[in-house]
Amino acid sequence: MAHWTLACHRLGKRFGERWVFRGLELELGTGARLIVRGANGSGKSTLLRLIAGLLAPTEGRIELRANGRPVADRMRVVGWCAADAALYRELTGYEHLHWWAQTRGLPSDRPTLMAHLERFELAHRAHEWVRAYSTGMRQRLRLALATYGNPPLLLLDEPDAGLDPSGLNLLQQVLDEQTRCGIALFATNRAECAAWGDLALELGA
Amino acid sequence: MVAALLMGVATVVGVGFAALGQTLSVGLQAGLFWVAVLFGMFPALARGFIVEEETGTADLLRLAARPVSIFWGKWLFHATLYGLLSAVLVPLYALLVAPLGGAWGAWLLLWLGGGFCLTTVLTLCGALVAQTAVRGALLAGLTFPLLLPLLLILIAGTRQALEGAFPAEPLQGVFGYALALSAGGAWVFEKVWRE
Repeated sequence: MAHWTLACHRLGKRFGERWVFRGLELELGTGARLIVRGANGSGKSTLLRLIAGLLAPTEGRIELRANGRPVADRMRVVGWCAADAALYRELTGYEHLHWWAQTRGLPSDRPTLMAHLERFELAHRAHEWVRAYSTGMRQRLRLALATYGNPPLLLLDEPDAGLDPSGLNLLQQVLDEQTRCGIALFATNRAECAAWGDLALELGA
Repeated sequence: MVAALLMGVATVVGVGFAALGQTLSVGLQAGLFWVAVLFGMFPALARGFIVEEETGTADLLRLAARPVSIFWGKWLFHATLYGLLSAVLVPLYALLVAPLGGAWGAWLLLWLGGGFCLTTVLTLCGALVAQTAVRGALLAGLTFPLLLPLLLILIAGTRQALEGAFPAEPLQGVFGYALALSAGGAWVFEKVWRE
């Protein structure tokens, strides 16, 4: 199994005239679970989006390495789940996962996909349009997409939003499993989730 | 799709009404034909990426596939739309405005080459403006310098085709333009697709 490392060097992001953060240094290896905390607007989501490759840093750089070798296209190997990430309303949960698996070159056979949806308790509604899903079910589907194929870098931006107690248990299991295969970054301000990480980053402090 | 079709049909019907009972010159027929095609397809072809940004699904798409796959995937969708709209608009134009005679082989090549270029320009410009706040105005401003030379070449070629001649030089221009777009389009897209 590859050893993954994530490093941020002098990372900074500015929107217009306002710096969200500057000079951020971070280094994590396989097995790390980092909880990112901070007040609203402190840059939790921005940091995760920068690491995912969805935003470009204003200054500094981000490096993901597998066994010491840099990964050229970080976006292809990250799992990203954000509470405000939109889903295709005209697709079903199964179609989402099938599309995701095919575009990422992951196994897309029906039994594998259904087993993954079952894990997130979505199998019984797999063939319903996402527009008919509740907030919690949409969040479970986002988690299912983010974790499919065991990505080495899992970025979860307030994934606890809208989840019921069984969903929160599931989320904790996801984090436990990620510790075995890669790195997890988890942005949340929820007190009960703070203990789920073994490292913490306080933004805006 | 339905909105694009209605827009295109309205354009052709409007042109047909204006030309009712008149014999149009070959140059005017060629010009009106491509104006009708462009006007009908313009709103639909640029929507692909704008819809992704407006509904917020663009981030999921960015993470799912490589930029080159996304570009040609959207291009294929837009090209299919171009084919479907042409299937309605071209016969309607021939029926209401002016019969489309002349060299059919040249017509087909102009339709294929023109469609490739129109689809590529609008896919690329749609991706560019999707990330901005002033989409409508910027789309028109960006596409104007890219589409105007193409439109002039297509009109010149169509004029020759209507006269029964084979438009060799306009076709060279259209396919040269298409070649440049296919080489540069995906590369430019990769630069603009990620912030």
